[in-house]
Amino acid sequence: MNPENYISIKTFCKHHAVEESFIHTMHEFELVTIESKSSEAVFPIEELPILEKMVRLNKELDINPEGIQAVYRLLEKVENLQQEVAALKRRLNRFE
Amino acid sequence: MEFIDYYKVLGVGKGASADEIKKQYRKLARKYHPDLNPNDTEAEQKFKQVNEANEVLSDPEKRKKYDEYGKDWQHAEEFEKAKKSRGRTGGFTGYTYSGADDDRDFSDFFEAMFGGAAGFGSQGQQVRFRGQDYHAQVQLSLMDVYTTKKQTLTVNNKNIRITIPAGIEDGQTIKIKGHGGPGVQGGPSGDLYITFSIANNTSFKREGSNLYKTVKIPLTTAVLGGEILVETLSGKVKLKVKSGTQNGSQVKLKGKGFPKYKKEGQFGDLFLTYEIAIPAKLTKEQEKLFEDLKKTNLD
Repeated sequence: MNPENYISIKTFCKHHAVEESFIHTMHEFELVTIESKSSEAVFPIEELPILEKMVRLNKELDINPEGIQAVYRLLEKVENLQQEVAALKRRLNRFE
Repeated sequence: MEFIDYYKVLGVGKGASADEIKKQYRKLARKYHPDLNPNDTEAEQKFKQVNEANEVLSDPEKRKKYDEYGKDWQHAEEFEKAKKSRGRTGGFTGYTYSGADDDRDFSDFFEAMFGGAAGFGSQGQQVRFRGQDYHAQVQLSLMDVYTTKKQTLTVNNKNIRITIPAGIEDGQTIKIKGHGGPGVQGGPSGDLYITFSIANNTSFKREGSNLYKTVKIPLTTAVLGGEILVETLSGKVKLKVKSGTQNGSQVKLKGKGFPKYKKEGQFGDLFLTYEIAIPAKLTKEQEKLFEDLKKTNLD
């Protein structure tokens, strides 16, 4: 394991002033990955933007963890649909 | 520079209380928050306007200055001079959205009047102006943007090292905050906008993260089925061709397309259209075989 590819949950929570339990709940909802490295809970660095978004949803918009799960799943669908629409538009342009 | 009616932006009256402003701001910020409106530039713009309006109206000192000089912002400097000492009085702090393209952008009106997000207070005795935005164009080949890479650009004799994410689109513009022209009287620097021109010198047609290619297959392979070797951007792959494959039919190679922009490790698909090669010249033996085939009344 390259330690640079992981972020400790403790560090993240301290920086963003959130409870560690929040991250564990997100993990239970299968929204983020938690691994244990050298007996410390960490998450992959690629998931940092996702976790930061969840913290924003929670702190700025007062959305609770269950709400975040629902929002996250719907946003995934929205993004997929947006991509599909963009792809269809591009295909349509080919025929115009 | 146009005057911005912050009360109108928030949808409150001039006499609105701090609580009303806070409530209305939270309502609108929640509606237009970029996290809840992915890829919606209109919502992002609204969010910035709402944030800016709140930045002014939630701070009693800024609000007072705005109320007095709003429409006449050019006189703000005199106002500043008249107030020798002051401190930031706080108020409801704005949302701190800091997404991938994080910019707490403020309008020219705001920048001129308050000198940027942190420009109000004891430091600002003069009206500060934001520096000019620079625009640059970078030409790359499709293969250059197949992987994420760092590149040093020279803009106005300054070297800037930027990361070009894999999967960037032809014509896409990215913004490098603070790398534009220097601000005036301590104002913030402008931004640098880089537009990418991606030349496709491959045999693939690109649409977002999907790639398209036409491959020729022998007539016999189309009829009887078989295997072909197909070139992809990540190397050659062996592909099974079903018997009875029709001319113009399409197959999808999942994940063999182009990298998805800012989605590390995710790729689009490669769509192959089969073009059946009809032999132009036949040997006598082959011709006979076709004649025999014809006699079988094959449709």
